[in-house]
Amino acid sequence: MDKPPIVTDTPTAAPALLEISGLRVEFGAPEAPTVAIDDLTLTIARGETLVLVGESGSGKSLTALAVTRLLPTAARITGGRVMLGGDDLFALPAAGMCAVRGRRIGFVFQEPQVALNPVMRIGDQIGEVLHQHLGLRGAERQERTVEALRAVGIPDPARRAREYPHQFSGGMKQRAMIAIALAGEPELLIADEPTTALDVTLQAQILALLKAEQRRRGMAMLFITHDFGVAWQVADRVAVLQAGRLVETAAREAFYRAPRHPYSRALFAALPKLERRVVSAPPAAAEPLLAVDNLRVEFPIRRGVLRRIVDSVRAVDGVSLRLDAGETLAVVGESGSGKTTMGRGILRLVPLAGGSVRFRGEDLAALSAAALRQRRRHLQVVFQDSYAAMNPRMLVGDIIQEGMLAQHLGASRAARETRVAELLAQVGLEAAHARRYPHEFSGGQRQRICIARALAVEPRLIVCDEPTSALDVSVQAQILDLLRDLQQRLGLAYLFITHNLGVVAQLAHRVAVMHQGVIVEEGPVEEVLFAPCHAYTQQLLAAVPKIGDGADA
Amino acid sequence: MGEFTLLTTDACLFALLAVAIVYCLQARRHEHLRAPWREVWRRPVAVGASVVLGAFMLVAVADSIHFESRAGSGDGDVLSALDIALRPLRTGSETTYSAPLAAYAYSRESVVDESGKLTRIYPRLVHGGAHLADPGREHGADVARRAAAGAASGLLGGLALSTLCVLAVARRRNRAPVAAARLLLAGRAGFPWRSLLGVSTALLIVIGICAALAPHYHVFGTDKVGNDVLYQALKSVRTGILIGLLTTLISLPFALALGIAAGYFRGPIDDAVQYLYTTLSSIPGVLLIAAAALMLDVYMTRHAADFDMLAARADLRLLALCAILGITSWTSLCRLLRAEALKLREIEFVVAAQALGVRSTTILRRHLLPNVMHIVMITTVLDFSGLVLAEAALTYIDIGVDPSMDSWGNMINGARLELAREPAVWWSLAAAMSFMFALVLAANLFADAVRDAFDPRLRQFGADRDLPAATRES
Repeated sequence: MDKPPIVTDTPTAAPALLEISGLRVEFGAPEAPTVAIDDLTLTIARGETLVLVGESGSGKSLTALAVTRLLPTAARITGGRVMLGGDDLFALPAAGMCAVRGRRIGFVFQEPQVALNPVMRIGDQIGEVLHQHLGLRGAERQERTVEALRAVGIPDPARRAREYPHQFSGGMKQRAMIAIALAGEPELLIADEPTTALDVTLQAQILALLKAEQRRRGMAMLFITHDFGVAWQVADRVAVLQAGRLVETAAREAFYRAPRHPYSRALFAALPKLERRVVSAPPAAAEPLLAVDNLRVEFPIRRGVLRRIVDSVRAVDGVSLRLDAGETLAVVGESGSGKTTMGRGILRLVPLAGGSVRFRGEDLAALSAAALRQRRRHLQVVFQDSYAAMNPRMLVGDIIQEGMLAQHLGASRAARETRVAELLAQVGLEAAHARRYPHEFSGGQRQRICIARALAVEPRLIVCDEPTSALDVSVQAQILDLLRDLQQRLGLAYLFITHNLGVVAQLAHRVAVMHQGVIVEEGPVEEVLFAPCHAYTQQLLAAVPKIGDGADA
Repeated sequence: MGEFTLLTTDACLFALLAVAIVYCLQARRHEHLRAPWREVWRRPVAVGASVVLGAFMLVAVADSIHFESRAGSGDGDVLSALDIALRPLRTGSETTYSAPLAAYAYSRESVVDESGKLTRIYPRLVHGGAHLADPGREHGADVARRAAAGAASGLLGGLALSTLCVLAVARRRNRAPVAAARLLLAGRAGFPWRSLLGVSTALLIVIGICAALAPHYHVFGTDKVGNDVLYQALKSVRTGILIGLLTTLISLPFALALGIAAGYFRGPIDDAVQYLYTTLSSIPGVLLIAAAALMLDVYMTRHAADFDMLAARADLRLLALCAILGITSWTSLCRLLRAEALKLREIEFVVAAQALGVRSTTILRRHLLPNVMHIVMITTVLDFSGLVLAEAALTYIDIGVDPSMDSWGNMINGARLELAREPAVWWSLAAAMSFMFALVLAANLFADAVRDAFDPRLRQFGADRDLPAATRES
């Protein structure tokens, strides 16, 4: 097979800090290895930010782990060299690597929740680095710890240093993580998707912080992301990885103006853009398919020996909305805004605290358990994590048949199997896939199976809970196309929960913005996204990283 | 040989074996079951341990095929296939203690000799070394000769087995036998044949030596009433294995049903289950077992007519011990399963099933049960060795199995006094210990491998592995 040639720019004039040459990482048996990284050559100059972009599984994180020799047990480096400021990292003994990690290379991970030690005070975790690498103790260490926290913008750092990770919010944890990474005054900072787990507003703050600290310290940065918007915000140069191979490196402006490699161009083409509108107008309807009125969902807080309910968290606090047949209503909001809980509340998958959910005029909230089980065939759900959404112990065919069995659809096993084949064809898979297990499929294929399972009971409404957030941009575009196609053919209504405003613009007819359990603004997509009224909506839109704006300011 | 009889525990053991066979057939067809087992069989230690476990299992099964003995044959009321196979060991009893491989008794006895004079001598044994004309001169050489012959036949058996395996591999891979043998020896045949054949050969040599010596000597000596200790230790295998397996069988339904239901339904059901197991696990287990043993004794004396056979009595006591151990030991597994079910009920595939209108009982059976089976598997094999040891401990304090039943606990209990006498009688204890040690060690090694293969959390990250060979040398 002919591969398009690798496109590289001329190396920058500045002296290289990190030089990766011919790196090769393999998995599996030595006789028949799976090559995860194939002949990767990269350089990062001092004070430069190189952004490594690529889809999941392209080897971005593995590259970072290989540089620090922290690969998972199953992977091994089988070739190449990594030079950091003239030292061969692969030639160092294990003890020598300890002096590199944390001191010369700082690390920021995607999940601060997992990367911070939950039983150590934040201050002690920073102090540990200061002691280990700079030999600081006592008052001096204390002073530097507080200073480090202040530098990453944590208010009241002296008091915060004595707190534990669980007392920090998500954004603060990531700031603390950055403080730890910077405490050893590294020459190179590796940031592995540091904002992926954060909301857009927090993401903007963290990106600004990283960029500012990098400038101030003259530090080099290897930044890993799958988001081209984020890449634009931080990059000096961009490197694109495809299936373990580097396909293009280029300076930021040149890359975004005209990506040269076909793969880079394909990725750009698949990006959902706010401006793109290809959604046809919804059919007019007299009676709404779904009418939610003043829906409330509360989680009780229990205290004391008798576990009495002392208070409750109002996750969904009086939401009203309507949805017509064949229409898509997008619900956007940051994590913790209650949008997922609202979706589950409408399906009565969580107990309701109040309000009504009228489906074709019938109040689901008032139905008995048995009656509700029958109505479930009209309302289905597709989840974000397609891996968790399917029982790993069941065959795909049985997974799709489950709903038919529960709803007594399909007269015989043969009839059900025919229907499974039909459904698989409908979502773009083959009939033979019914005899495989979920783990044998890629993320996009798994999401297609989940959609087929929902379709099996012939629903009128599907609650899509971030169905494309875990997918790569190119796959995301395919799934969105599939959903739109199904809507046109079957007249489905979607309640589409997402945090990605680009997806909203592509698929939805109307959009509702949710904030702290209530809907703050609702209306047609054009109005809400391009002429927002509510201050929160404006803030949310402003925080979305956009390509080509003045991030350097 | 009389009519075939089925004791209650025999039925339980055979039922368990049937379940295991059904599981194996099931596992062959399902990839998610087959993959971890393939991982287990890739480990040399696991394969070696399973050879030893298999040998013990074989003894237990042979000892569970019972026949009612004919009246007046002088035997006990029931005999097992093992008893029949070990007839020389069973019937060749002495008058009292004799040391391992001895030809003379262990203590002096007053004997009236031909001239009518009373002397205190070490008398010759009735069976041990009875074929020797002058034990003083011939004894050592005879033992060495027989042991060497036994070892040689064991080695031959091992070699024959190895040849068969080599030929089988050669056939399957379409290679010449020599090439296949080289592959096996280099450990590159995809299955740890070396450890399988090595352990099998070692085991065959030990069995060969014992089999060569046992008809003429008491390999592990004799006990106070002159019974062969090797025979007792072999008979105890069934007791130990039954306790390890049946207890789990009895505790599993409680743990599974209550644990999963509590985790999935939460609310009042969870409260009730939690209350039950916290209460149960705060009663000292030994006390509960002692009370149950006492009640059973009372019951059996009241209904003496129903328990005319000695074996049936002992059997019932064994079953009762398993039951009471099972009832007190389900709590820890239940706790684990409840926690897992709490986690699983939030996972999307369970929510998706709810959204499809699937009934709760079906969700429990179809979605929760298969996804907690790895925990059940791990705990079952880990608990097995603990239960074998628990039997020994409980019997030692006289609330375990029936005193008439052969068990390692009873042997150790007896050894308490034997060790206190002078000169000490150490072989009962040594025999029980070495058998128990072999079984428990094999079970533990096997359990470790099973846990490693089944526990998804153990397939995690490590650091500093496998640098390229070139850089390692520099």
